[in-house]
Amino acid sequence: MLSKINDIVAGFISILKGLAVTGKNMLKKPVTIQYPFEKPVMTEKFRGLVDLYPEKCIACSQCVKICPTAALDLTATTNPETKKRFLGAFSYNGELCCFCGLCQEVCPTAAMYLNKCYEVAYYKHGDLTKIDLLKADKYQHLTPPKVKGLKK
Amino acid sequence: MNYPLIDLVFLVVKGVYILAFFAVNAMFLIWLERKVSAKVQNRLGPMVVGPHGSLQLIADTVKLLLKENIVPSSADRFVWWLAPFFVAVPTIAAFLCVPFSNVWIVRDLNVGVLFICSITSVCVLGVFMAGWGSNNKYSLLGGMRAAAQIISYEVPLLLSVLVIIMEAGTLSMQGIVHAQEAGLFLLKPNVMVAFLVYLISATAEVNRVPFDIPEAESELVSGYHTEYSGMKFAMFFLAEYANLFIISAVAATLFLGGWIGFFRPSAVWFLLKVYGIISFLMWVRWTLPRVRMDQMMAFAWKILTPIALVNILVTGLLLVLKG
Repeated sequence: MLSKINDIVAGFISILKGLAVTGKNMLKKPVTIQYPFEKPVMTEKFRGLVDLYPEKCIACSQCVKICPTAALDLTATTNPETKKRFLGAFSYNGELCCFCGLCQEVCPTAAMYLNKCYEVAYYKHGDLTKIDLLKADKYQHLTPPKVKGLKK
Repeated sequence: MNYPLIDLVFLVVKGVYILAFFAVNAMFLIWLERKVSAKVQNRLGPMVVGPHGSLQLIADTVKLLLKENIVPSSADRFVWWLAPFFVAVPTIAAFLCVPFSNVWIVRDLNVGVLFICSITSVCVLGVFMAGWGSNNKYSLLGGMRAAAQIISYEVPLLLSVLVIIMEAGTLSMQGIVHAQEAGLFLLKPNVMVAFLVYLISATAEVNRVPFDIPEAESELVSGYHTEYSGMKFAMFFLAEYANLFIISAVAATLFLGGWIGFFRPSAVWFLLKVYGIISFLMWVRWTLPRVRMDQMMAFAWKILTPIALVNILVTGLLLVLKG
């Protein structure tokens, strides 16, 4: 009888403890955000799509050599007098890319970097496999036009 | 002076008010439930339709109205069809005796408490009909569990209500509120015990967590309303939340003094108390896990009923000693 009463009291206290836990959670700020309206900011070391500052590139081809999936391809022309290389074309295959970030690490002039794009969806297969890194507006369409009621 | 026609018109108007309140209140409670659950789980809940998702339930209701009503091929059609009405109609009828304020009550029956307690018990018939008519093992199990649970918890529920009736000396809802004008019943220790017993058994009565065994999702899909779709499902759903309102309204009237408050209009006080109790029950729902079937039955018969019985004895003794 006495142990039964003890059980009841202990159970009652445990319920109160549980209520305290959920009560504390109720006062906290929500951890979720309204995704299509609010976009999360990616972390410092987030690795998105490969991107390039064409003016910094010296066409050394180190990134092409280190790429484990051969996703990068560049053509360069050499000036015969000064022996300086110029970038002709630079294409990037987003389908092959494994986002390892080795190209970013190996680049001597920090011309190559992985951007913070995480909404990577294309309408055509060819658009994804042949991305021209020299074009300035190559990733523009991945940032969708402003949704109505979009919060900053 | 007797004007039967005018009386009839007034009765119809009041009935329409009650029906409108039934629907709007249930929709509000579903929204509140989703918001409370989101708060407990650090989420936002419905946010898109209307400010803070307040119009979400209107969208959901339109969806349910337009949905196809699927009848299982082996169902007992008549029983299956009738079951949602057996759940919804007694619930609406129970609103007749809910005193929203000192004047806002459809009929102040002199057996008001008894009327509410008895007519809401008819719901169990509908629940069992739904379980039987669906011809589905999960539904049948859910219906049987619901019947066992509701009938068991009716006993401590009524015994705890009896304490209030003894204190007030009347069965009329308005009479009980008036009896509390001098001082709330809840301040007495024996009424506190009765309030606790009432809250626990009322939670079981409306099949809410931790006593949601008839609808246990992980075991029974969703219990007796597994096979229902469209508007029939909506009727079960609305009735469930209307029942939640009814038990909270009875608790507010019997234990917290109903519409008694510091300022007019008194209906505000009544609604504040009712939604306070409902919020507390929702908080409990999103905190506790489900109890086992045998534990629940043992709890009703071995713990709650003896406590309620002893409480009645103590109340009687106190009343006799007071003179």
